[in-house]
Amino acid sequence: MTDNVDAERQRIAALPFDKALAEFRQVVEKLEAGNLPLEDSIALFEQGVLLQRRCERMLSEAELRFQRLVEQAGGKVRALDLSVSDVEDAG
Amino acid sequence: MRPFEPLLPADEPGRPEPAANLPILTVAEVTQLVKGAIRAAPRLRDVWVEGEVGQVSISAAGHCYFTLKDERAQIKCVIFRDDRLMMPFEARTGLRLVAQGSIDVFDAQGVYQLYVRTLQPSGFGDLALRFEALKAKLQAEGLFDSSKKRKLPTYPQTIGVVTSLSGAVLHDIRRVLARRWPMARVVVSACQVQGGGAAPTIVAALRRVARWTDPDTGRTTDVVILARGGGSLEDLWPFNDESVVRAVAAHPCPIVVGVGHETDVTLAEFAADVRAATPSVAAELVVPARSDEQARLDVFSARLRQAAGRALSDRRSVLNNEKRALEANHPAAQLAAERERIGNLIDRAARVVGRRLELDRATTERAAEQMPALVATRIGIARAELNRQSASLGALSPYATLERGYSIVRGPDGTVLRDARTVKSGDSVSVKLQRGEIGARVEQVRDSSS
Repeated sequence: MTDNVDAERQRIAALPFDKALAEFRQVVEKLEAGNLPLEDSIALFEQGVLLQRRCERMLSEAELRFQRLVEQAGGKVRALDLSVSDVEDAG
Repeated sequence: MRPFEPLLPADEPGRPEPAANLPILTVAEVTQLVKGAIRAAPRLRDVWVEGEVGQVSISAAGHCYFTLKDERAQIKCVIFRDDRLMMPFEARTGLRLVAQGSIDVFDAQGVYQLYVRTLQPSGFGDLALRFEALKAKLQAEGLFDSSKKRKLPTYPQTIGVVTSLSGAVLHDIRRVLARRWPMARVVVSACQVQGGGAAPTIVAALRRVARWTDPDTGRTTDVVILARGGGSLEDLWPFNDESVVRAVAAHPCPIVVGVGHETDVTLAEFAADVRAATPSVAAELVVPARSDEQARLDVFSARLRQAAGRALSDRRSVLNNEKRALEANHPAAQLAAERERIGNLIDRAARVVGRRLELDRATTERAAEQMPALVATRIGIARAELNRQSASLGALSPYATLERGYSIVRGPDGTVLRDARTVKSGDSVSVKLQRGEIGARVEQVRDSSS
């Protein structure tokens, strides 16, 4: 049981924003529809709280990743980090 | 309207004087006369005017007002919104343009103006022709069809940006994205944005974005921004290059093009899925606003808690109903009835026992009422006995004897003297009285037995 909860926690912690938001919305709508056994209602509520936290954390803590695409020998394209100074110095 | 009459009598070339047959006109009447005269001149119905653009303003309704001037004169020009949106170029201050349209009078302001139908850059006659020719060709191919426009993703994770690494554009885009949607990943594909060699670098940069895949996640870009800051018509020309326009139209990702200022229009923008007025606007268009999403989350959170609360209270009332229904038939209910019967029995038993105890208690209390007298008597006897015992104990103490006038005499070695013969004349003895002691010397020993 605890393993399941942990696995669910980890899954949610790795969700991208749109997926987490979509799941959050589904959870809310399911819970609003009602007609669920009490255990399911509680489990849904807990899942909803996790999803909400995931979304909020991403909104508040995210930091823009800024990279530059570079072509390597052989034509492969790679993304390399681009610092603010790279951009400003160039300007 | 009054019938048209000559303003000046032909026979009086001197100062005009109001005459009975020359009525005074209203402003509107004069304006109508001028308007009629202008509209009657076929030369003014379709004119091509070349000049430099002075002040430009765009009204809230989207109409464009500007002046076209040369060294000696200026003329007011108007481009109505619908015409303006169809034009490949927009009037910008300082540009030399050829405007085509008709001259008419705007009654309300008492001005004549050029109502512009087409606009071409002068001196760019060649380029303008190429622009129009290319536009017509690509349009015929369906490159600009609105049915081909793709919807932008609502929550892009990876955003491709095709622009120059130098200049403010990339910095502006970065600033907007960091503010609105910092969870995005931005991959910049650098290109030149002006000069003769720019077009191939733009095409290569667009292709580079299309070829890139994140090696870990396998993800590609969700949306692409092609951007360039403001500049002259020549500066923006690479964005009218056929290869660039085709690369934009053929790009695998939805693409937003923001080139120059709001008034600049390039063919790349026609080919884009979304046209942005400026590079910053392009950045705003590709991502949602963090604050909007936070508000959306807050709404869902409130709904989640409400629904959970409702689910619990519903459950609770269902539970209560079930409990009530169950209680009537449940064995526990019967047990309870049984228990009640037993309870009654116990109560009865308790009442019986209680009455019995009551009786006993009455007896005990009556007995207790007599107790204090008995106890006091016994205590008095005990105390008297104790006194007696103490008195005889005192009589037994050796010191009690002294009280009666006797003394205790001890010899030189401290032993109590009982026999006179145990001392001789000159021995020191001590005599203990009831109070104090006397040191004494033996003068004479008399043997009582003698």
